[in-house]
Amino acid sequence: MLSYILRRIASTLPVMAIVALFVFSLLYIAPGDPAVVIAGDQASPEDVERIRQSLGLDRPFLIQFGSWVWRILHGDLGTSIFTNLPVSTMIGQRLGPTLSLMMVTLLLTIVVAVPLGVLAAWKAGSLIDRAIMAFAVFGFSLPVFVVGYVLAYIFALELEWLPVQGYTPLAQGVWPWLQNLILPAIALGCVYIALIARITRATMLEVLQQDYIRTARAKGLGQGGILFVHALKNAAVPIVTVIGIGIALLIGGAVVTESVFAIPGLGRLTIDAILRRDYPVIQGIVLLFSFVYVLVNLMIDVVYTIVDPRIRY
Amino acid sequence: MDRRTVLKGLAGAGGLALSGLSAPAIAQGASARTLRFVPQANLANFDPIWGTQYVVRNAAALVWDTLYGVDSALQPQRQMVESEEVTDDGTTWSFKLRPGLKFHDGEPVLSKDVVASLTRWAARDPMGLMLKALQQELTAVDDRTFKWVLKQPFPKMLYALGKNNSPCAFIMPERIAQTDPFKQIGDYVGSGPMKFAKGEWVPGAKAVFEKFADYVPRQEKASWLAGGKQMLLDRVEWIVMPDPATAAAALQNGEIDWWENPIADLVPVLKKNKNISVDIGDPLGNVGSFRMNFLYPPFNDVRARRAVLMAMSQEDYMRALVGDDNSLWKPLPGFFTPDTPLYTEAGGEVLKGKRDLDAAKKLLAESGYSGQPVTCLVAQDQPITKAFGDVTADLLKKLGMNVDFVATDWGTVGSRRAQKTPPGQGGWNMFHTWHAGSDCINPAPYTAIRANGDKAWFGWPNSPGTEKEVTSWFEAKNLDEEKAAVTRLNKVALEDVVYAPTGFFLSYTAWRKNVSGITKGPLPFFWGVSKSA
Repeated sequence: MLSYILRRIASTLPVMAIVALFVFSLLYIAPGDPAVVIAGDQASPEDVERIRQSLGLDRPFLIQFGSWVWRILHGDLGTSIFTNLPVSTMIGQRLGPTLSLMMVTLLLTIVVAVPLGVLAAWKAGSLIDRAIMAFAVFGFSLPVFVVGYVLAYIFALELEWLPVQGYTPLAQGVWPWLQNLILPAIALGCVYIALIARITRATMLEVLQQDYIRTARAKGLGQGGILFVHALKNAAVPIVTVIGIGIALLIGGAVVTESVFAIPGLGRLTIDAILRRDYPVIQGIVLLFSFVYVLVNLMIDVVYTIVDPRIRY
Repeated sequence: MDRRTVLKGLAGAGGLALSGLSAPAIAQGASARTLRFVPQANLANFDPIWGTQYVVRNAAALVWDTLYGVDSALQPQRQMVESEEVTDDGTTWSFKLRPGLKFHDGEPVLSKDVVASLTRWAARDPMGLMLKALQQELTAVDDRTFKWVLKQPFPKMLYALGKNNSPCAFIMPERIAQTDPFKQIGDYVGSGPMKFAKGEWVPGAKAVFEKFADYVPRQEKASWLAGGKQMLLDRVEWIVMPDPATAAAALQNGEIDWWENPIADLVPVLKKNKNISVDIGDPLGNVGSFRMNFLYPPFNDVRARRAVLMAMSQEDYMRALVGDDNSLWKPLPGFFTPDTPLYTEAGGEVLKGKRDLDAAKKLLAESGYSGQPVTCLVAQDQPITKAFGDVTADLLKKLGMNVDFVATDWGTVGSRRAQKTPPGQGGWNMFHTWHAGSDCINPAPYTAIRANGDKAWFGWPNSPGTEKEVTSWFEAKNLDEEKAAVTRLNKVALEDVVYAPTGFFLSYTAWRKNVSGITKGPLPFFWGVSKSA
């Protein structure tokens, strides 16, 4: 297993290199020029050209790319064109809020979605099942920003229970940290709760038709034992897969959620960087996201072997 | 249902729900001496010479002081300077600094700091460049005195040093000011009324300013960038909120104290809340604009440009932007900011009265326009340019023009408009923007009115008559001469259609009623502002 994990980690390097080359090329050929944004609306073309030169943006593609790769190999993600801060510092500042949001959302998703899916499968065809599935369709259909605004209206403006916006670091206390994350996590989690509840239900239904479940029932095992010990464990592989994919998708969802709730996370940093053509920041974030995707895939593979010992690498 | 409709409805509902309620629990813990402010845009960098965005200037005005400051009467007043002298021939200026000025690191402000700062500023600022071209020497005479010797008189010297448009002549310590003007500084030490808390800066999210205890304000009453900058707050937190609905909700909820630029859609909601004050933020407003490219057909022919001016309706542009709120806009048959000393409508008949589409079509045909595509750049991510672009597309179609409507983002427009290549090869025919009214009060900061061909702003208008009158204004010795020059300038610039003004518009600012001392101006002024619990 260890050698497998090491091999997988090693295999991420060429993947990330290809992603890096792709992103760098894409940004190079994309329209837009950070020097223009920096120079401001009243700048002359000469001012813009001076700024381009000072940023090295006038250099040939291969030299720019080579220089960037060289810095990456030395652990330097570069410096933001706009803030003059190291990209690693900027990502570090934003990582906490995004990780917190993702963690709370994921936890909420698993705690709510899996039991809902199991319940729906257990009560298949009943009113409860239909209600859960209707909720799932509803949750899946609503855009994150709509859910976000509705939640903010009810729980922040109307009831005044929670703040509308912002982020408080965990170091300042669990409740201050959590109260800024509850509404965004629910808004962001709705889609994933719906998705995972549906997958859990479908997988559980399939598993519940299996012979060994019939056998378990025949020997008098209780409903809880059948559902959670025998069925859920065997249904876990596709559920874990979807949860894993969900983690990756959360990164995209976080962009909108962070804007709606003014959370200073990586999603907002990404959008800001793209709009300003802050190339080093975009490249750093893309590399980070690529790494997260690869890591999540690796973790899913490892979890497979735990939930289903028949899977071996 | 689109996103904007949803947020408007919900913010509206929130406003109704909250009107009549006292400040919510969340707001109660906040210190009364900390002001939480939502700026117009993200403070993405913090070098006011390198980056000239308005938001950078606004933040910089807290941290760095200026030698002079323009007041609300648009007159430069002494700020860091105690006195100045100019020789009879107008070529040698001697300035003496106020005693006791200190930088945030405790070091005294010395003439050498001023010389280095002015040198860096002059390399980037249009007026600074003019001064630089006239400069014989700029030297420190002693610790508090410095001298600027010019080859010929520059009557607008004090205005140049005190103007509020970017880049302002901010004074930095010599070690910082010696940075190449095209490279960004990383040390934010100034001598202004507040210190920048660099350690708390999260670009794109938050910037914090703390009161500078050793700041010595002038004794006069504060007026814009002039007078006594008395800080009544200990801390100002700038919180960047990209989503207007969130900012509106946060203001209603007491999580922020002042929102610089509420969007017009949400203003009615805020006005209904008894805890919130809403007023026009900057009386100098903005001048809407679209520019036509003088280099290529059809707009290289003045008749085509005049045809567009003849057919366009400023009201259409303004309604698209501000809706039914008539207090937010004015027609602008000229180029200069309404209600300022040099405002004139001379030659503005073409923009007044009933629009004459038939005459415009005839004139367009006379220009030789034969249906070639007109590449119109529109930044969809900027509500102002988006609104203007939609109106223009409709206007050009009514004129019978073949519109190549390039809907893109501001970054791309900013880049493409710099291209001098033909429209079919990456260039363009027209693009939309707007200018701060404070930049349009006279020709000095008004880059967009310059019409010196290749050296002019994007669109590269070539109008010798306009340039002649710009020079006349610079040489004017009194206000009457200035007015006469600008009157002629306005007329000739409209005849040659240096650019098309789409109207004058204002925007609101909103704050909680426990905040007092907010004044109207071209930038948010924090001196004199206080907050009760």
